[in-house]
Amino acid sequence: MAGIDVGGGHGKRPTNHEIPLIPFIDFLLCLVAFLLVTAVWSQMARINADARVPGPPQPDEPKDPPKEKQLHVEMKGEEKFKLVWKEGTTVVNTIDIDKKAVPVGDSGDMRYPDLAKKIVDEWTANGAHRAASDTKLDQAVLHTDNSTPFQDVVAVIDAIYTPKRDLTWAGKTEKVPAFNVTFSVN
Amino acid sequence: MIEKALSRFTQPIAVPGRRLLHHIPLRFVQRKVGGGGQRAVNAEIPLIPFIDFLLCIVLFLLASFSATGELPIDKSIKLPNAENVIDMTEAPMVAITGTQILVDGNPAGSTRVIEEANRLQRVEELFNILKNKRELWKQLNPAKEFPGVIILQVDRKVQALVVKSVFQTSAYAGYPNVSFMVGRLGNK
Repeated sequence: MAGIDVGGGHGKRPTNHEIPLIPFIDFLLCLVAFLLVTAVWSQMARINADARVPGPPQPDEPKDPPKEKQLHVEMKGEEKFKLVWKEGTTVVNTIDIDKKAVPVGDSGDMRYPDLAKKIVDEWTANGAHRAASDTKLDQAVLHTDNSTPFQDVVAVIDAIYTPKRDLTWAGKTEKVPAFNVTFSVN
Repeated sequence: MIEKALSRFTQPIAVPGRRLLHHIPLRFVQRKVGGGGQRAVNAEIPLIPFIDFLLCIVLFLLASFSATGELPIDKSIKLPNAENVIDMTEAPMVAITGTQILVDGNPAGSTRVIEEANRLQRVEELFNILKNKRELWKQLNPAKEFPGVIILQVDRKVQALVVKSVFQTSAYAGYPNVSFMVGRLGNK
């Protein structure tokens, strides 16, 4: 055990001392146990939805930019999703996809893998912002029923964020979702 | 037969001593323990490195300790899960429970009003609180650009109408960059 040896003594009361390490170790172990129990091992994350359409303002943006294609995802139907590519108010293309929900876990979460795959294909074919140096994202607009539960909305947003692309920002290149999602107010 | 009365100090149970195999001398053990000219078998447990290790763990846990964490403001909120997510950031938190709207834990409106109206509308109380928050931030950070980020903690059963109303109100109040707090699904 650790001790403090100052030598001497010479028949008087000894000045050497043993440091009580065992209680100190007990204290440390209690502290470790407490911190481990109260630690927040968070699995929380966020999924983005930007109200700035068409995306955040750019410093070198022209005053009257050309109209871009937007992907409108309609989840109002009972059996089908509808993907609509629009240029302004002009409908360019419409695709129907079956609503096949795949449950994930036992918490009631679900995924739409068919929708996600189709959105990846559509972005690969029609996406306008692909270059890593392009800081703008393609715009997706989500149309929902008023009564749709939020977990369904998140499942569809998650599917829209499936296609990824490189984005170089401040000298770093990272994978980001190819679309920026916002809600339709109608 | 008259039994001798136990005195006050007589212990009916004897203190156990060395009993087991005490008649066996075990000289080799004595030699070993005492050294006997050879290498002693006594060993010191190295406590100092152990304490150093414990201190490192304590420091790490204290550094990563978060009293508030990133837990939902309201325990009754059950968040949905998603795969394609990004890490949390520091921003004002708006929680939507079954009936209430809370900003950083303080009441900021009711969902019932929106549900009863059954149309998209601005939540005035929420709008005023967020607008004040934004102005306060600008006063405190005059040289910085306002990020406009807000995080919504929405119960998975809440109707899309309520979510869209809060989303729109946040955007009107100067928080257009809205994020939804979700659980992380999968290994991303």
